[in-house]
This record gives sequence, structure tokens and C-alpha cells, in this order.
Amino acid sequence: MTQIELINFPKPWFLFKSAMALSLGYMVFAFYRKWRGWSRGIEEPATVSGNYGSVAKIWLAEVILHRQLFALSFSRWFNHLLIFYGFIGLALLPLVAVILGNFGYLAQSTTTPRFYLHAAGYILMKLWGDTFGLMLLSGLVLSGIRRFVIRPAQHTNSQMDVVLLALLFFVTLSGFCLEGLRMTFVPAEVARYSYIGRLFTLPGAYPSEQVRQWLTMTWTVHFLFVALLFAYLPHSKLMHSLLAPVVIGMNAAAEHARKDLYWPEMKKYRAPRSPKD
Amino acid sequence: MARDEKIQGTKIAEGLTRRQLVEMHACARCGECQVWCPVYVQDSRELITARGKLDSLRRLVEGALSEDDRKDFINALYECSACGQCHVVCPVRINTHDLWEQARMSLVNAGIPQPEGQIKQLSAIKEFNNPFGKPQSERPRWADMAWKAGLLKARVPLWKEQRTPVVYFAGCMASFDSGLQPVAVQSARLLQEAGVAFSILGEDEPCCMSKLKRMGDSGFIGEAHKLAEMFDRMDVGSIVVSCAGCFKGLHGDYSTMWPGSKKVLHFSQYLDQLIQEGRLRPQRETRLRVTYHDPCHLGRHNQVYDQPRRVLQSVPGITLVEMPRHRAFSSCCGMGGGLKAVSSEIQHKMAAARVREAEATGVEAIVTPCQTCLQGLLNGKKEASSAMEVLHLNEVLVRSICPEVTHEAVEAELARRFAGA
Repeated sequence: MTQIELINFPKPWFLFKSAMALSLGYMVFAFYRKWRGWSRGIEEPATVSGNYGSVAKIWLAEVILHRQLFALSFSRWFNHLLIFYGFIGLALLPLVAVILGNFGYLAQSTTTPRFYLHAAGYILMKLWGDTFGLMLLSGLVLSGIRRFVIRPAQHTNSQMDVVLLALLFFVTLSGFCLEGLRMTFVPAEVARYSYIGRLFTLPGAYPSEQVRQWLTMTWTVHFLFVALLFAYLPHSKLMHSLLAPVVIGMNAAAEHARKDLYWPEMKKYRAPRSPKD
Repeated sequence: MARDEKIQGTKIAEGLTRRQLVEMHACARCGECQVWCPVYVQDSRELITARGKLDSLRRLVEGALSEDDRKDFINALYECSACGQCHVVCPVRINTHDLWEQARMSLVNAGIPQPEGQIKQLSAIKEFNNPFGKPQSERPRWADMAWKAGLLKARVPLWKEQRTPVVYFAGCMASFDSGLQPVAVQSARLLQEAGVAFSILGEDEPCCMSKLKRMGDSGFIGEAHKLAEMFDRMDVGSIVVSCAGCFKGLHGDYSTMWPGSKKVLHFSQYLDQLIQEGRLRPQRETRLRVTYHDPCHLGRHNQVYDQPRRVLQSVPGITLVEMPRHRAFSSCCGMGGGLKAVSSEIQHKMAAARVREAEATGVEAIVTPCQTCLQGLLNGKKEASSAMEVLHLNEVLVRSICPEVTHEAVEAELARRFAGA
């Protein structure tokens, strides 16, 4: 069993807390403004069709499985699924940490031997983070290739599209760089679980003080990108990740109530592949 | 940001539903709408796509759209047939066509009127009860003339003379347009062949007013309530409509305010019912390879796909070949949403594209069950210089059941009679 010493390096906590407070505060404020804007609209009567099961089925198919995208284009479906689940997985990483922490698995001194939780949960965290990080990074790279190399006609590459893609890419990349630098201090038998992060390990040997400085720098860059993403989110097309599930549910319920749900038709006569794909 | 623009943005937002305001922010900008948009094929501007319109509408509501961009957006909003194809392919399922119609109405209420062509048509509907600006006394003349010419087996009674379980609602296009009157005559004749006791409303037949909704006229709700009350007073069993646009109006748009909208059937649905019951028997062989054009208002908007196809296939000798884009993916002929009143050139090009798609399947004819689509496709045939036949569904049945009332024969006979009158 291996015990892991969590790597200590100087962290600019004041800057971190200020940046996060500012970006999260701004994000909440921007959402509040959007909410107020939406509240100006006409309130519709609730469209309760009585058949929640059918609406839930549509919601699961469209949101969880991206059925519509699958029908139109396999490559885009796969690409979006990588980004979608990569993003969700990474967003859940702190949650996993909290859960593991609460059960004592992340404590540095623990010696509890558990099935694949050797090293006190560290390995699970690494496997989880690297797998979902890899999914997100691959999805973003494939998106970039599609958008800038293949350039299908329907991609306009407006500022909104490019900025978000770049921001997500740098957040993920800086995360892996940070992990790679940490690998310098991790024993090889454990480092292998960071199967992507270890690819970002610096070649050669450096004094640990030097590596700690780089760690501080990379950590700062990483959280600044994250803070920027939080602040940009309400103005970005990433809004669709929050609103699309809502719209899909609401429109499926409305269509069901009107009895003009097109889903059975779509299911029976699958969409022809997107003509430009 | 100018204060006036912000005030106008607020007014526009107040005319949209909360769901629609959320939808404007939910667009994933994937561009699938662009791939399928039949208008974009003819006018490749970003603003034509649902993605472009959603983005501009969002900025307009936020008061952040420049004067020039605002003009471009308004033009694009009306240069749309509201066919609903973008809704069907949207991975976020944004209900685009409802949004465009509501946005048009909201813009008008905020002081931004419709384009001139649409205003003219709306004024005619409100003043004359039909978009042609013709007196209502001319509405039932097709029935009189057809009876006198011997094209019908019996005189079609008016509802006020004879209360029948079925009312045939010909619609403005088939009542007033000489090129489309054969559709009304053939419908009446087919009902007679099936022994259906039906009547028409004659001069009392109103416009379904659905064009008001399509073009964003806020008078729609009031007019629809009046018509719903009228139909309720009549207490009729079924109202059978010829036009997919009237069907979308009376069956779909009215459904939220009129439970009786369930009684409204499209003529193709009713024909299917008559054939299934054995009351209408297409027996004469009609050797023809055809393709079927789904009208947007019948198919995508109301899920009526199978019945017209069953009617077609009930005719001996008919071979149905589907176009690559059919059913929910059927490409619009451009006759909906008031587009033709804004740009007949785009409508012609859209219909020409559809005719070419039909030609590519190697068929001899393209068949549609809607008189408005029939007119649109005929424009397209001319634009594409195509030799392919463009037929109404009635025509295929008539050739098998009562070949003396073909479209050509009825049109010629009515023209002769009208000229004489």
C-alpha cells in the first residue's frame, strides 16, 4: 500500500479568493439580470399533459443520450458526448473529493486499505479526473478540428463560438499541466493512475523549489481561466448547457399537451443524415 | 445604448412568452437549422437561419441591436415561411415557428409594422374576409357554375338551407382563385361520389384568419373567437377543409381556445376515412409514378403523414416514390408564413428546388393534398421549366373515380362559364 503526501506549494489564496468571489458574484448577478429579463415575458399556463412518463422518456433520450444529434450526425454526436460528459465528470470531481473526504479516504495519514482506494482515495480521484479530462480535451480538440480544419458550411466561427472553445481548452490544458508538474513528486507506482497527467510531466530533473514555483504559477493560471469561464458563462453559448435541458422538457410537455408531439414520428422515420455532414 | 431602443426592447419582450425568452438564450449555435433551411438555400445570409434570428432577436430585446442590424433582422424575420423545419432538426427543440409568429406580433405591438406586401394582404382579409379583396358574394360561385356545367352530380346545398352533418370548407384559395377552383369542385364531386350529406357555407364561409397569426396580426385572437362561436352555434358534426393552411388554423391554432377544433378534418384525412369505410372506391387503373409533397402545415405542424399516402396508394396503378426529404423533413414550397407576400421570387425558387428534388426521383408527377402548395409548386414548375406534372391529391382520385372532372376539364369549363357570366 502506498501513502501519498499531498504536494504542498505556495498558493496565492488571496488572489484566488478575490478572483473567485468576483467571477462567481458577477455570474450570479448576470444570471439574476437574465432571470429578470425573462420574467418580463407572458406567463403561460402550465402545460401538464398528465403523461409525465412520456415527457421524461423524451427528456432522457434528448438530454442524456443526445438522440437528435445521433440521428443527424454520428461524429457530432460522439464529439458532443465527449465534451458533455467530460465537463459533467470534471464538475463532479470536487463532489467526489468531498464524499471521499467525508469518509476519511482523502486524509493524508489514513492507512485504510481498500479495493482500488489504495493511497487513500487519491487513485480514484486521479482516474476519475484524468478520464473525464481526457474526454473533455479530446472533444474540444475534435471540435477545433471540425470547426477550423474541416470547416463545414454551418459553422460561422463567430467570436462567441471561438472564445468559449478556446477558454474551455485552456482550462483543461492548464489542469493537465498542473497535474503533470505534480507528478514530479508522486511515486511512479501511483503516478501511473494519472495516465494523462503523467504525459505532461516535465522532461529532466529540476530542483523541487523550482518545480514548486512553476506549480504556483500554473495553479494561478488555471484558476484564473476557471474564474474567467464563470464570469463569461452567462454571456456565452455555454448557456445552452443549462437551458437546453429546460427548453427540451418544456417543449416536450407542451407538444404532448397539444398532441402534436413529433417525437414518435422522428423515432419511426429516423432523420436522414444531416445533408452537409 | 439608446434609451428608446431599451424601451422598445422591453415592449418586445413583454409580447413574448417566458419560454420563448429563455429559448433565445438556449441556442447551441450548432447550425443544424442552416443545413435544412429551404430559404437559406436561396438567400444564404446568416440572418435567415434560426440561429441568426435568435441571436438578433435576443439583442433586440436587450436593446443592443444597431439600427442597421435591426432593419436587416426585421427583413429576415418576414423572409421566412415559418415551415418549422428548424424546429424539427434543432437538438435543443426550440419551437422556432411559434417564436417567429409571436415575435412578429410583438414587433407590431411595439410599433414595428409588417412589410408592405403583408399589410396589403392583412387589410384585404379584414375588409373583405379574404386575401383577394373580392366580395363574399363571389365565394360560392364555383359551386353554382360547376352544378350548371354538369360537373357535379347534384347542387351543393348551403348550410343555411340544409343542416348537414358535414360542412365542406373550401377556403379562400379554392373559392376565389380560378386556377384552384377545380380543387373545390373535385372535392365536392368526390363527397357526392361517396354519398356524403354535406353542405357549404357559401357567402357565409369566412376566412380562417390563420394568415393573421402567421403574419403577426394581434387581431387573430378576437377573430378566432368569433369564428369559434359561429361554428359552435352551427353545431356541425365535421368541418372538412381543403387547405393545409386552413387546417393548421382551424384545427391547430384554434385548439387552445376552441374544443370544437377536433371536429376539423383535412380533406385527405376524410378521404382516407371514406376509402377505409368502402364508401369511396377508386377502381379505374391510373398508371402513374408519383412522389408525395408533405405540406408543412399538415405534416410537420399536425402530424398528418399517413392518411394522404394511404389515399394515393388506394388508387390502382399508382406507384409512390418518396423524395429524400419527406414527412417531417419535407422541404417547404415557400407558400407559408406570408413569405410570398414579401418575396415571390424566393417562393418561386424554393418551389423550383422542390420540383427538381421530385424530378430527381424519376417520377412523372408530384402530388400534394393542399391547394396552396399546389399553387406554390406550379410556380416552381414554371421557374424550373419542368415538364413534370404537379397534381392535387384530388386529381389522382378523380382520374380513377370520375375522370370527367379532371383539373384541366373543370378549369376550362369554369373559365368558359365565368367569361359568359
